[in-house]
Amino acid sequence: MIAILQWTTLAVCGLIAVARIPSALRGKNRSLFYIFALMTLAILLSIEAPYVAIDQALGGSNIANLLLRFVIFAAIYFVGVRVTKGFGAEGAYRLITGRAGMAVLLLISLAMVAVFFMMDTAGSSAGLVGPARKDSRNGVLVEYYGAAGRAYPSYVSLVLLPAMVRAVGSRLPGLVRVAAGLLAVGGIAIALTLLFPVIPRDWAAVEFVVNYTAVLCFVIGLALIWAARVKNGRTAGGRETYTEK
Amino acid sequence: MTLPAKAFQRWLQGIAPDASTADVCRVSGIKRTTLAQQLVRGKISVSTVVSISRAYNINPVAALADFEPYRELAGPPRPPTRCELVSQISTPDLLRSLLARQAMDPARRSREKPAALSPAPHATSVKNWVDAIDDGEVRHRVSAATGVAPQNYSAQLTANRLSPELAVATALAAGVGPAGGLVATGLITEEEAGWPPDARQAALDSMSDGDLTALAGDRLQALGKVLRRQEHDQAQTEKIWENLG
Repeated sequence: MIAILQWTTLAVCGLIAVARIPSALRGKNRSLFYIFALMTLAILLSIEAPYVAIDQALGGSNIANLLLRFVIFAAIYFVGVRVTKGFGAEGAYRLITGRAGMAVLLLISLAMVAVFFMMDTAGSSAGLVGPARKDSRNGVLVEYYGAAGRAYPSYVSLVLLPAMVRAVGSRLPGLVRVAAGLLAVGGIAIALTLLFPVIPRDWAAVEFVVNYTAVLCFVIGLALIWAARVKNGRTAGGRETYTEK
Repeated sequence: MTLPAKAFQRWLQGIAPDASTADVCRVSGIKRTTLAQQLVRGKISVSTVVSISRAYNINPVAALADFEPYRELAGPPRPPTRCELVSQISTPDLLRSLLARQAMDPARRSREKPAALSPAPHATSVKNWVDAIDDGEVRHRVSAATGVAPQNYSAQLTANRLSPELAVATALAAGVGPAGGLVATGLITEEEAGWPPDARQAALDSMSDGDLTALAGDRLQALGKVLRRQEHDQAQTEKIWENLG
């Protein structure tokens, strides 16, 4: 069940990234292509088989997991920048790109890297399940490391949330409002990941579902906005050719 | 919103005893599937009754008065008030006639009389009609009488719509002729409501330069607000396309 969810998400995200290649080549909103490509890479790195293969190539010390965290940070940063700019949420934009946002990013990154190198990380294992089982010290450190990795995405999605909720109730085109709703749901899901430490261990499936719900909501939400623009361009196509001259 | 099928069939028996449903549809130009669906659901739309009564040369107002919710429409038509008549003149017509007034054109440069008024309804006829008969409390009274929430009522007015029941209820609450709202919503013509042919032109001519100028100013202000809001929405949407499309 979880494997199906993982590979479907990977396929959806990868297809959208491929579909964005033509507009990226034309120079139209390249960062959207980067977002989808980064998300595809992140999903790939969170599935056991590809993760182990890539990590073995990188030396087998789970450095791929650190890479995965920074890929997620980069993707969520670009999402935050694009969405706040697009929806005209200036306060949220400053909270992400301004001094506060940079300080949050830097602190979390430093803490995450520091914890990573304090751990005994030998032995490729997605989600650092292997290293966590080595001893209790490593187990605790993996928890901290995971918490740091979830902190920045949660920060960005909480910053985005008010603007998304406002957009849902606005007079924007229907598809855009649905997209904003999906981004809001995704944001809530990411924020919920902060609660993972208090979730009982037997509920690991819940964590998977929350994670992949978040990713799917973001990917489909962003793709819907794109679809809405394509639809809008088609209906207004005749007029556009007149005004473009 | 609708009339019960039973009452409709009784009424139809009365006006066209031998006609089949197919005949009725052919004469009145209603699609057969539409009428069939309304009959199956047991909910006949008011506009169906209006179309059929026109086809059989019956005054639609008198026809509607046969149905329980529209009893108030029975009896000789009450003449419209001057405010109602003027509210049913479109803003462009109003402005044209203002420009031809002495106050606006002292040198009488434009000799020609403004063209005849375009027939009701116009782009903001519903909102203008309610504003024209509103003593400030009408919306509350309608809301109390019909149980329709004030925000739903306002939303209909903003969209230049008003259900036939609410149109009649509004006229009753304001103490004007019951059919006026049906003219403003375009369900029936001025003539069918018993408005004299040149009543609107006469009402317009009887307005002083000052009153007409002030009214035109109000209309322009409301129009400006709507246009500005549309432009704002459009700009917001463009910004989303630009950043996320």
